[in-house]
Amino acid sequence: MSKLSLSVGPQHPGSGHMRIILTLSGDYIIEAIPDPGYVHRGEEKLAEYRNYIQNIPHLERPVVLDATGAIFPYVLAVEDLMNIIVPERAQFIRVIMAELNRIISHLYYMAIYGIFMGHSTMFMWPVGDREVFIDLANTIAGQRVTYAFLVPGGVRNDMPEKVKEQADKACNYFEKRLIEYEHIFMNNPLFEKRTKGVGILPKQDAIRLGVVGPTLRASGVKSDVRKDDTYSIYNQLDFEIPVSNACDSWSRAWIHMEEMRQSMSIIKQCLKRIPTGPVKLNLKQIKVPPGESYSRVEAARGSLSYYLISDGGKVPYRVRIMTPSFRNLITIPYIMKGVMLADMPPTYWGIDYWPVEADR
Amino acid sequence: MVFIIKLLSSIISGMNQVFKRRMTFRYPDQRLFIEGDGYKYDPKTGIGINGYRGRHILYLEKCTGCSLCVMMCQGISQAIEMKNLPNKQITVNKKSMFPQIDYSKCVYCGFCVDACPFEALFETNEYELVSYDRESLLFTPEQLAIPPKKRPEPTVNLKYGDSDVYHG
Amino acid sequence: MSKIQTFSSFVKRLIIIIVGLLITLTLLFSLLAYFVPSVKELQDILLSSFGNPSLMLNYLDQKGLGLNSLFFKVVVFPGFTWAALIAAEIIWFERKFLAKMQMRVGPLYAGKIAGLLQPIADVIKLVFKEIIAPSSSDKWFFLSIPIIITSIAAALLAVLPVSEGWIIMRSDVSVLIIFALVGFVPIAVLLGGWASNSKYPFIGALRGLHQMIAFEIPMLISTLGVVLLTGTLDLVNIVYAQSNIWFILLMPIGAFVFFTCMIIELERIPFDLPEAESEIASGYLTEYTSMAFGNLQLGVYIRFYAMAGVFTTMFLGGWYGPQILPNGFEIANQVIWFTIKTLLVMILAIVLRGVNPRVRIDLLLRMGWSSLLILSFVNLFLVILILQTELSQIFGV
Repeated sequence: MSKLSLSVGPQHPGSGHMRIILTLSGDYIIEAIPDPGYVHRGEEKLAEYRNYIQNIPHLERPVVLDATGAIFPYVLAVEDLMNIIVPERAQFIRVIMAELNRIISHLYYMAIYGIFMGHSTMFMWPVGDREVFIDLANTIAGQRVTYAFLVPGGVRNDMPEKVKEQADKACNYFEKRLIEYEHIFMNNPLFEKRTKGVGILPKQDAIRLGVVGPTLRASGVKSDVRKDDTYSIYNQLDFEIPVSNACDSWSRAWIHMEEMRQSMSIIKQCLKRIPTGPVKLNLKQIKVPPGESYSRVEAARGSLSYYLISDGGKVPYRVRIMTPSFRNLITIPYIMKGVMLADMPPTYWGIDYWPVEADR
Repeated sequence: MVFIIKLLSSIISGMNQVFKRRMTFRYPDQRLFIEGDGYKYDPKTGIGINGYRGRHILYLEKCTGCSLCVMMCQGISQAIEMKNLPNKQITVNKKSMFPQIDYSKCVYCGFCVDACPFEALFETNEYELVSYDRESLLFTPEQLAIPPKKRPEPTVNLKYGDSDVYHG
Repeated sequence: MSKIQTFSSFVKRLIIIIVGLLITLTLLFSLLAYFVPSVKELQDILLSSFGNPSLMLNYLDQKGLGLNSLFFKVVVFPGFTWAALIAAEIIWFERKFLAKMQMRVGPLYAGKIAGLLQPIADVIKLVFKEIIAPSSSDKWFFLSIPIIITSIAAALLAVLPVSEGWIIMRSDVSVLIIFALVGFVPIAVLLGGWASNSKYPFIGALRGLHQMIAFEIPMLISTLGVVLLTGTLDLVNIVYAQSNIWFILLMPIGAFVFFTCMIIELERIPFDLPEAESEIASGYLTEYTSMAFGNLQLGVYIRFYAMAGVFTTMFLGGWYGPQILPNGFEIANQVIWFTIKTLLVMILAIVLRGVNPRVRIDLLLRMGWSSLLILSFVNLFLVILILQTELSQIFGV
């Protein structure tokens, strides 16, 4: 069977804004080489010309589905350099927003998985339910998708009183919906046949390649930044980390669903325990002394980290962003071996690869 | 056999949805209701007041023309510029310079509201700012001073039923 | 047609136009001359039929267009117009039902009530677009494929027994006619993909060919079960044999196999690999625009109705049902029950569409050549068991 070289390029209904160069033999993929870089906008260089507050709107745009997860490590790094301690209530609100964003991002993941499978109901239901959480985030932060809510020193405004009741209703509704999702999406026999045993990434390979996020947890490694390298108030909360030993696409989708359950329980705990107090330190100006700092956070897709060097001036000297999609990019040549061409889009979406985040 | 049972359970779960209410609402016959008054900022405590970030509103009698909002937006999207209005004489604003906002560039982040120390620039609930050409998106200070129109009835917001979610 | 570049091509075009005009006008006048012998007679009939409509019916009977004639059966009911109306309303129902299952509304604004006229609005939109044939394709062949597919679908309607008297053609070998027509469709699909002369339609057409050929065999073998039980190939006799018990209760496995093969032959989701995949644009439908596309969709939905009608006839008892209309309206009662059962079969296919993702080609072919084939043979052995023992007397077959 002769080999065919196919370029699943930027303009294709089955790829994102990036290119994968495939070598096919018949219908099976022998070699897959990713070609990212179509959406590179120079975020790290742009950050060197704006001061510490003006950096926030543009740095949250690459990771747009999980905007809080993109700004959280930045804010933690700046506060580390400035040596200030954020009030308790602000930390609880930050954790609530981060977990809400995790749910929103995972629902979008399930929706696009459905499109690549050809299942239109699996697109409509998660996107409709996502509206519930976007409305809740709107009540807290003031905007629906890109919040610019976290600043060095706390959060920008306080939560209104009705958030507790609305969050209760939303979580109750969604917990019932997750049971329906299991019946119709996860345990659907045709979905199982297409995703079980496809795109296998064994445990040693996952550790050796440095994979992060749900992809790592689907390969049997119990690792999460919230538990290993804990930040903010996560050590006061009680939650579990779902792990699966079958290293295929189905278990990656299953882990996303289980993480949504854990996020809802974290939100309920935070709302019960939240203290009163101010939500922001009244800093007259953001004056960052020279130094360097590193911070790491568990965003929705994996661990996002920032390395910040400051020389005492108004703008940072160097901002280095490391996104989870860029770390997971290395797996594409490994998991695509032996996969059929029709399964290529669901497999590469299964590792939760977002091209804009990888290219920054 | 297990195949048939799983298929039947997914069919039942799909059919259950048919008897629930639909979630979408019919824009523009029904519009979404946003509570509150818009995003504001209190310069004394340095903490914002919760609200939706839509179109800005400028209080001409309080604005001193200090250009702090312009300086903040220079690093974000360069949407604000100062404009001279010679026929507006306000005691605190000797040079009669007021901000004008270009909504084709604004990203609605609200940092200009955070920058104003005189409580002259707030944000409102209005988000329907479409137009046919780019020039009419440049709002002059007089246009920014007009309070937002009330949202036309009927308005809907998200309601939770027993096992479904709908806009009503 | 080629551009007018020389005098000879101009003359060619002129001759084609003149000949075409002559043929059309001749046909039109001969039609009128057959139906209108004289204007005075027509005037008398029209005037007198205001008070006495049966005079008009008699006049039409004389001309061979009356209510019992072949013309009426083929064109109006249960022929093409009836099937086209049901096809249009099934398109509307499918979109509304899927929308309800997916938390949204569906067509809403066309037509005063709930978007009922949406398919007609779609057809009007398609009529006003331009028919494009790619320059490197075989143009006349390419444009005739939708007509072939729709004609095959409409020809399937000829043997469908809607009620006791209303069949267009009753013959002794109806089942063979159905399978001959069903077997021609893969060839037409392949020709459609080949005539487009482009990469994606060809891949889609090849997949369609594999899929349709693989699943004709289980369908034939499950039909063989029904034929063995009744001993005839005539669809009307098959319905008569179900007057005591419906065949779906006697051979549930066979009905399941036939239903699955029916959905696969029609290329509906979850088996729509030849048509709309996220990697081969639109399959063999890619290059078809405006009315060619509309014709193709009409053909697909008429075939859906026809195959659902065949399933109803063979397994669900045809037109039998309790009498819900007052006595004297038996034929209407039969028509209503047949339509209700066919619509229920179609609704089940639509529900399956909303709930399942798409299947991969190798899983599909493996299922067809192993599982469904074995199930249909098991069904056949069960039918032989019923025939050879006393069970057939108990069930009154």
